[in-house]
Amino acid sequence: MRHWMKSGLLMTSLATAALAFSATSGADDFPSEPIEIVVHTSPGGGTDTTARIVALATQAQLGTNVYVQNKKGGGGSVAMSYVKSKPADGYTVMAITPTHLFTMLRGNSPLDIDDIQGLARATDDPIIVMVRGDSRYKSIHDLIEAGRAGVIKWGGTQIGGVDHIAAMSFAKAAGMKVSFVPFDSGAEFAAALSRGDIDAAGLNISETRDQIAAGDFRPLAVMADDRMKALPDVPTLSEKGLDISFSTVRGYVVLKSTPKARQEILEKAMLKGMESDRYQNYLKGIGLDETSIEGAADWDSQIRRMYKAGQETMQDLGLAQ
Amino acid sequence: MEHILTGFSILIDPMSLAVILLGTIVGVLVGALPGLSSSMAVALLLPFTIYLDPVPAISMLAALYCAGTFGGSITAILINAPGAPPAAATAFDGYPMAQRGEAGRALGMAAVASVIGGMLSLIVMVLAAPALARISHSFGPPEYFALAVFGLSMLASISGKSPVKNLIGGAFGLLIATVGVDLTTGVERFTFGVPELYEGISFIPILIGLFAIAELLAQANVRDKVLERISLNAIKLPSVTDFKRVWPTILRSSGIGTFIGILPAEGSTMAAMIGYNEARRWSKNGDKFGTGEIEGIAGPEAANNAATGGSMVPTLALGIPGSATAAVILGGLQIHGIRPGAYLFENQPDLLYSIFAAMFLANVVFLGFGLVGARLFSRISLIPRTFLWPTVFALCVVGAYGVNQSMVDVMIMLIAGFAGFWLKRYGFGAAPIIMGVVLGSLVENSLAQSMIIFDHDAWRFLDRPIAIGFFLLAAFSLFYQPVFGWLRRFRRPRSAASKGAK
Repeated sequence: MRHWMKSGLLMTSLATAALAFSATSGADDFPSEPIEIVVHTSPGGGTDTTARIVALATQAQLGTNVYVQNKKGGGGSVAMSYVKSKPADGYTVMAITPTHLFTMLRGNSPLDIDDIQGLARATDDPIIVMVRGDSRYKSIHDLIEAGRAGVIKWGGTQIGGVDHIAAMSFAKAAGMKVSFVPFDSGAEFAAALSRGDIDAAGLNISETRDQIAAGDFRPLAVMADDRMKALPDVPTLSEKGLDISFSTVRGYVVLKSTPKARQEILEKAMLKGMESDRYQNYLKGIGLDETSIEGAADWDSQIRRMYKAGQETMQDLGLAQ
Repeated sequence: MEHILTGFSILIDPMSLAVILLGTIVGVLVGALPGLSSSMAVALLLPFTIYLDPVPAISMLAALYCAGTFGGSITAILINAPGAPPAAATAFDGYPMAQRGEAGRALGMAAVASVIGGMLSLIVMVLAAPALARISHSFGPPEYFALAVFGLSMLASISGKSPVKNLIGGAFGLLIATVGVDLTTGVERFTFGVPELYEGISFIPILIGLFAIAELLAQANVRDKVLERISLNAIKLPSVTDFKRVWPTILRSSGIGTFIGILPAEGSTMAAMIGYNEARRWSKNGDKFGTGEIEGIAGPEAANNAATGGSMVPTLALGIPGSATAAVILGGLQIHGIRPGAYLFENQPDLLYSIFAAMFLANVVFLGFGLVGARLFSRISLIPRTFLWPTVFALCVVGAYGVNQSMVDVMIMLIAGFAGFWLKRYGFGAAPIIMGVVLGSLVENSLAQSMIIFDHDAWRFLDRPIAIGFFLLAAFSLFYQPVFGWLRRFRRPRSAASKGAK
């Protein structure tokens, strides 16, 4: 508690100092006002919690208040139209996930992929093709064969979400038939997989590390370009000749027309903040590591690649315009 | 035993004690304000807990959760505005009691029933968490569908009004629940291009509208005559006779609440609804429910607080949240680098027992708070309505707006308010509508998921024993009255003599 009050005091004095400074120096004293991070969900849940911790870590770097603004609805479109209504001055940052990209692809979205510019990535959790520990599918090859001969029941979150698009992209590339069973949360379809209600699922390491260790789940392949540090023996789909890379990512963007200098200040502050023990500890708690953190260049190109990959699958599924 | 003692030793640590007390008091206040729910308060406090050690941090959140569930009953009873969804069922009989001038009796009962429910579920949790976690793990879509069917079987009887009107109200609730993107098809339904409706109509604005705004409109219709204000009655706490009467109800509801709480994703609201309905079913005064029966408070309050303890079971033992608030607490564990699951039980039992201890303490604290507060808060029911209701209106608008900071939610609240007022005039109660909204998406989604899992063969529900059990309960709930009535008529000639002797 005392610690908290102390850092609170420090924060206020820093903020006052920053304010005093801004009054005298004029033009480029960004940031001199509070910065908001717009999140597309209600409080609670992974994206919101991550954003809140990033906000705390970032404000320690910038010396100005950074807070989370929840604008729920429309698969991110309420958040996007809110961001669009704000000036492109760097004081409004948006948290984005693949959901935002797929909402853009559906059409009629307030923002388009060309309107945003990536700042930094906070979490990167590749989707892993997983079956039950005692499943007869010993390798990704077995699963693909079975899917070509019959139908694989595959669990994920809502239709049009990253799990669905990833499963369908994989099925199409491998020539399998997949019957997709949507659930409300990852924990629910992980439980369904371990009960044997479904044959396979795309799950994250953060949700399944204990089950993999205990042998309850068997990871068959990772939907990423490189093997995961935590699963060095599990092949990637690209090794198997399937160029499928999907991941539960959370990162931050601003409007593209935001001044470059301000983008750099934000990027640097976020990256530095995420180096802190507190953020690293949080990453560890959700089963990830420092490879999750990425700067503007790589993050921005990842957004665009995922957008393109989603586009093809969504057109096939009749979801995209 | 050693671990239990170590766990409880956090209650000696002044820092932990202070944050647990803080969590409890914040919880009661936040729970009492409509629109501010305990899940939201936990979510907002979450990032700040990184400045604390893991044990006091999680203890504070758990205490807030317990207290928040109780807090909702205060406003439900006093102004018919349930502070949080789980308290909706408490308003059915609590508000009529307050209007009758028995606010203190109602508030006192809510506090005691909450604490007993909460404590019993905690004891169950300490003794049997890993075993119970296995039950919650075996609940898949088919089992949820059967449970939801059981819930829907209560629609006709949930309020004393006409069963046909209850069914119409329930169907209306189900219709409201269809708004938004369908889980299994991804198709938008009844959203009319409003992005705020994409994820469905939020529950809290509907709740505030149907209860508080509808009541406000009804009150506006009444001329404010000078009421006889016998303040002595209003602040009177429940008597020993009251407790003797509700004892079985509290025990039954604690069991129901613990069980529903253990099921992943089914939280206190459903527990309270079922607890209320069972209290009514087994009560001698079942037909008086809705007019201010004290069992109608004990039933839902014991159940919704029992569900808080219950919902921590899958959260801690499996990492599957047992309710919306438990999901946020799960996030709190992760912030501190703690992984729930079997690992936690084997390697960090101390932490586990500390959480139990914190929730235990929270229950004790809000019992005191509730009983002392009951005498204080009950005076609110004595405020002249010309002053009270405009204030309530402001509170409602802020509450509806605050959830998602959205004006659409305020509109939904107002529409629900006018609809609720109008429906009430024609004899439709809020209870079946709320029940329909709560169960709507569960019954639909779980059926759709089950059918995909069963390769579209509905007979395969018969492979799932738990599901069959709930289908039988649903059948029992629908038919026990006609069947028992028939049996009684059949047996009356023979048993008339023994009955006459009574």
